Amino acid sequence: MNINCNDRERIFLDGTADEWAALEAHAVACRGCREELSAWRNLSVAATEMHEQWDSPALWPRIERALAAQAASARISWWDRLLGSWNLTSLQWQTAAAALVLIAITGTAVWVASHRGQGDAFAGDLLKDRTVRDVEKAEAAYEQAIDKLDREARPQLDKASTPLMTSYREKLQVLDSAITDLKAQAGLNPANGHLRRQLLAMYQEKRDTLEEVLEAKQQ
Amino acid sequence: MGTMGLALPWEARITEQRLERGRVEPPETTRGASSASAQVSADDLTLASACQAGDLRAFERLYQLHGSRMKSMARNLLGTRSDAEDAVQDTFLKIQRSIATFRGQSSFLTWSFRILINTCYDARRSRMRKKEVSQDEPEAPEAVPRPEPRAPGAHPSLRLALERAVAQLTRQQREVFLMYEVEGLRHAEIAAVLEISETASKNTLFQAKKNLRQMLEAPRSSAAEAR
Repeated sequence: MNINCNDRERIFLDGTADEWAALEAHAVACRGCREELSAWRNLSVAATEMHEQWDSPALWPRIERALAAQAASARISWWDRLLGSWNLTSLQWQTAAAALVLIAITGTAVWVASHRGQGDAFAGDLLKDRTVRDVEKAEAAYEQAIDKLDREARPQLDKASTPLMTSYREKLQVLDSAITDLKAQAGLNPANGHLRRQLLAMYQEKRDTLEEVLEAKQQ
Repeated sequence: MGTMGLALPWEARITEQRLERGRVEPPETTRGASSASAQVSADDLTLASACQAGDLRAFERLYQLHGSRMKSMARNLLGTRSDAEDAVQDTFLKIQRSIATFRGQSSFLTWSFRILINTCYDARRSRMRKKEVSQDEPEAPEAVPRPEPRAPGAHPSLRLALERAVAQLTRQQREVFLMYEVEGLRHAEIAAVLEISETASKNTLFQAKKNLRQMLEAPRSSAAEAR
């Protein structure tokens, strides 16, 4: 195989084994190619030094625990999270009992606020029945609009043809999960304004993310 | 282009011993025959299926197979072992969360590596945001963190010079160079990780190495003085 100096870069880029052998043979008699070949190879050899191996005996156990915890939290419903399993420790029972008391107090406060028609200590966070209905109606309309955006962005997300799209898809999964959780909690306690505001923030974040996906598609 | 203090005489940089044990043949025909193919293998699918079923032993197998390369890749992108280990842990958690979306269109390794690389860049962005908040040591958006000292063994100046030079590459050049030259992935695998063509991977590697050579080249004046 005849190789000359002009073939050198092409071989560096995508040469076959035979072409590399021919270039080596040519380099014996050509100082320029010899130096270039040497430098090119030295770079590869130096790069192997960047591969670093070290023992991390604690890493896999740590990952395993985190995986197990994540799998468990995915299985456990919000109700299970609230009350824990039946095999509760004393502290968990106390927490569950406190949560039940809190729900009872909040429910009572909603009832009092809606029947007396005046605010109290919870006035900032508790909504009256009619207001709750209005909020739920607005939320439903907002959710429908976001679902529409979602449907438009979905083909782009499902393809996930770039790392950016993969990140967006993962972010949306996290947001959807958070929205589901918050909706479940808001279902339990519909008059809690704080939960509603959190839910709205999640919806807004989802809307912004979907808009970014659609903008990325247009570019 | 300046050399940014990276210059070392080539002959002083690489010992013969390194030349003997290192990979010196660039063509893929000599380097990837026994390595995992970018095509989806039966083992790959079995492993992915077990992970989808929630089998933690399958995740452990994935860690045993690729954990070392994942740690090294993350170390080179993030600069410290501690950050690298955190990134590998986050990667496994993301794999678990999104395993249902793995449809076997690419190999499990390349799919996992894609998640790892995204996780590393997320970690870097997060770290930079924290730095911005604390207004401590402003840094360019694509700047790579200062690496911690590596284990003794290689010429420290060489490693440092090469790491700094790699940090100056574009993101894609850096990723391709690290995956091909440092971690030993094949162009087909890199193409699958980065969702580019094999030709683009080869071109990017070529350009990366040309740029690195330029950055690491001794300035003519100092080279002449050395003689």
